[in-house]
Amino acid sequence: MTLQELYVEIGGDYAEVRGRLPSDKFIQKFVLKFVDDKSYELLLSSLEQGNGEEAFRAAHTIKGMCQNLGFTMLMDSSSQLTEALRGGSLTPEAGPLAEKVKADYEKTVGAIRAFQEGLAT
Amino acid sequence: MTSSNKQKILIVDDSEMNRSILVDMLEGEYETMEAEDGLQAIGLLQSHGPEISLVLLDIVMPKMDGFGVLEVMGRRHWIETIPVVMISAENRSSRVDQAYDMGITDFISRPFDAQIVHRRVKNTLLLYAKQKDLEALVAEQIYEKQQNSALMVDILSHIVEFRNGESGMHVLHVRTLTELLLRRLVEKTDKYNITKEDIAVMSMASSLHDIGKISIDEKILNKPGKLTAEEFAIMKTHSAIGAQMLESLNVYHGEKIVKMSYDICRWHHERWDGRGYPDGLKGDEIPISAQTVALADVYDALTSKRVYKPAFTHEKAVEMIVNGECGAFNPLLLSCLEDISGDIAEEMAPKEFVGPSKAELSDMLQSFSQHRELSASNRTLQLLEHERMKYSFFAAMSKEVQFEYNITPPMATLNSWGAKWLGVEEIVMDPMHNKEITSLLAPEDWHSIFEMLEATTPERPYATYECRLAHKGKWRWFRFVMQTVWEGEEPAYMTGTIGKAVDIHDMRTNLESLQRAASYDGLTDLLNLTSARKQIEARMKAHPDSNYALAFFDLDHFKNANNTYGHAFGNQVLAHVADLLRQNVRGADIAARVGGDEFIIFLEYSQELEAVIRRIYRSISGGEFQGFTVSMSMGVATSEVVEPVFTDLLKAADQALYAVKQSGRGRFQFYDSSLRSLKHTGSYADQSLSPIESGDGGEEA
Repeated sequence: MTLQELYVEIGGDYAEVRGRLPSDKFIQKFVLKFVDDKSYELLLSSLEQGNGEEAFRAAHTIKGMCQNLGFTMLMDSSSQLTEALRGGSLTPEAGPLAEKVKADYEKTVGAIRAFQEGLAT
Repeated sequence: MTSSNKQKILIVDDSEMNRSILVDMLEGEYETMEAEDGLQAIGLLQSHGPEISLVLLDIVMPKMDGFGVLEVMGRRHWIETIPVVMISAENRSSRVDQAYDMGITDFISRPFDAQIVHRRVKNTLLLYAKQKDLEALVAEQIYEKQQNSALMVDILSHIVEFRNGESGMHVLHVRTLTELLLRRLVEKTDKYNITKEDIAVMSMASSLHDIGKISIDEKILNKPGKLTAEEFAIMKTHSAIGAQMLESLNVYHGEKIVKMSYDICRWHHERWDGRGYPDGLKGDEIPISAQTVALADVYDALTSKRVYKPAFTHEKAVEMIVNGECGAFNPLLLSCLEDISGDIAEEMAPKEFVGPSKAELSDMLQSFSQHRELSASNRTLQLLEHERMKYSFFAAMSKEVQFEYNITPPMATLNSWGAKWLGVEEIVMDPMHNKEITSLLAPEDWHSIFEMLEATTPERPYATYECRLAHKGKWRWFRFVMQTVWEGEEPAYMTGTIGKAVDIHDMRTNLESLQRAASYDGLTDLLNLTSARKQIEARMKAHPDSNYALAFFDLDHFKNANNTYGHAFGNQVLAHVADLLRQNVRGADIAARVGGDEFIIFLEYSQELEAVIRRIYRSISGGEFQGFTVSMSMGVATSEVVEPVFTDLLKAADQALYAVKQSGRGRFQFYDSSLRSLKHTGSYADQSLSPIESGDGGEEA
């Protein structure tokens, strides 16, 4: 899988990212780094504990990273979740939006992992 | 890579990935520092302030968000010297406006674009670098720098004049006339935003208008008679060449004088109608400095004698200029020329050029210092940093907790030694709602401290307070020395407090143990005579109607114990007796060792005194301590028989004790009047109570 193919797979905008960030190497470095970021776990645990403020920050961070990396699909869902959590309360619409973020995140991270394995071989 | 050459950028973002993207984008050209929340950022700004050239600041962060950081930076005036570029996906304009209001210089929105990040960072740094240059001019360096610039201007312009074969007065004339014209111009209009400082700098810079002539062949420069078209074309290059020379001037690059000189050199041959050279600028496209110098230049050329022409009179010259015979000029400037016409002759009279006058300098200083509320040169900052280092070193040595409390936003800052020692953060937001902080002092002490601080005034801002402070679960005595900080006038308002807490625990406990040592006998830990007397007198004074008894006893054959077993053993015997004594008197009784092997017991009684005395006597006397038989002789005086006065009671008890000794020891006896005649000298009562104050053993038995 190429970097470009990865972006297609995860509903990202490769051309846009390539225009902003200095090189493929640069992009790849941070795409791989995305997998290790703890914000997603923080989002899940704070949702579980009903900590709306922390969930908002975690969703906001995920959204920011996706913006920077051009992960359009996950950015959209995390952005919607961020807005639903803004103000720090767990609104009723936050539940389904969080499910969407989970699905998009798993898909994104799964594809990145596959891409990474492809690099190793 | 060394840290000294690169500018340092502080990146504040809670997302590690976003920080590393920025670090990757900026590294190489800049040095970066990272903070993952607002509090950390404030901490780094506090400790590395002068080194940090720029802050990239996220908005949404835990602990303290970006707005919190801006608020603190504003309060502490950091924002005036450290530019902040906000980074965020926040794109709601109210938030953006708020951030600009709080002093940010620029905004970078996510997603990051490497080009934009670079450009914003670079522009902001440049902008502030200029500002810093200006500030650097303000303080102690201004005079020296101005002298240097004046010297540079002087040297360069004289070189030109020398080669030009001009009178030597041309530069001075142009300079004077430029200044007169500009002064008149700002009286007439504020269209050009010219400050007093600008006038001073423009006038000085005017001297350099012809430096480009250095590069022109002397034959052309000093040719008597008209130049050929080709020669004129060469001559015309002097304005662009002069500008180029200034541009490549490394030393003064970026300074206002150089920028103004550049404008003047390049464009002092432009004309209002666009028919000048080298760029054919028109109207106010030409910088006002260059327009003014152009007019002054032409006026002086007309009124001076040159190799190719005679000198015209002032009237003739003005007439020629106004009629457009020397090219078109800004009508506003022409009317200025006419306005000052009367002053010109007088002002142009020869005077020695000695650089900017004192009045000019003070004008410049004034306008520079108005530029910023708090301007400090880099050197001043370095000196301050040095002082801070010195102070924190000494503070660490003297175990001082230094603190600063800010009322809005509520925030406490501690010196690093203090924070570490107390086990709290160096910066604590809302400290009075932070348990780590509030638990440091007892609630009543906090209350008293705040009361004292509220009672201060701008005239008397000091407060001192001593109380105990919790240190790792133990209380230690501290002295708080505080000064409240005030801002504004009429009325001034309190913005916070600075202060220090000094550990006085050892000093204070030493004092307490000294006090204790003064009242207690070191060997037996019983009261000594002086303090026993004080307590007894106080007791009798408080309850004058009660019955009191004073028992006075010593150990029989104690001298033998000392002589046979040694002093150390004797001391053990005394301590043993003291223990027994303590165990067998009631809480309200007063027991004391009055010296050697002599003790007293003072008690209040209501009935059956003899039974009480017997019990005490038997509990001590008759036992054995490591082979030494403890036996004692005791005399007792009561307030029923003797006046309730300490010395009288003691004297009487002593008489009774003497009687016991006379009759074979080993028992107790009450004093009665029959004993009054008994001859007895050498007692404590007779020596008016001057013996041992704090015991050091039983060696005198």
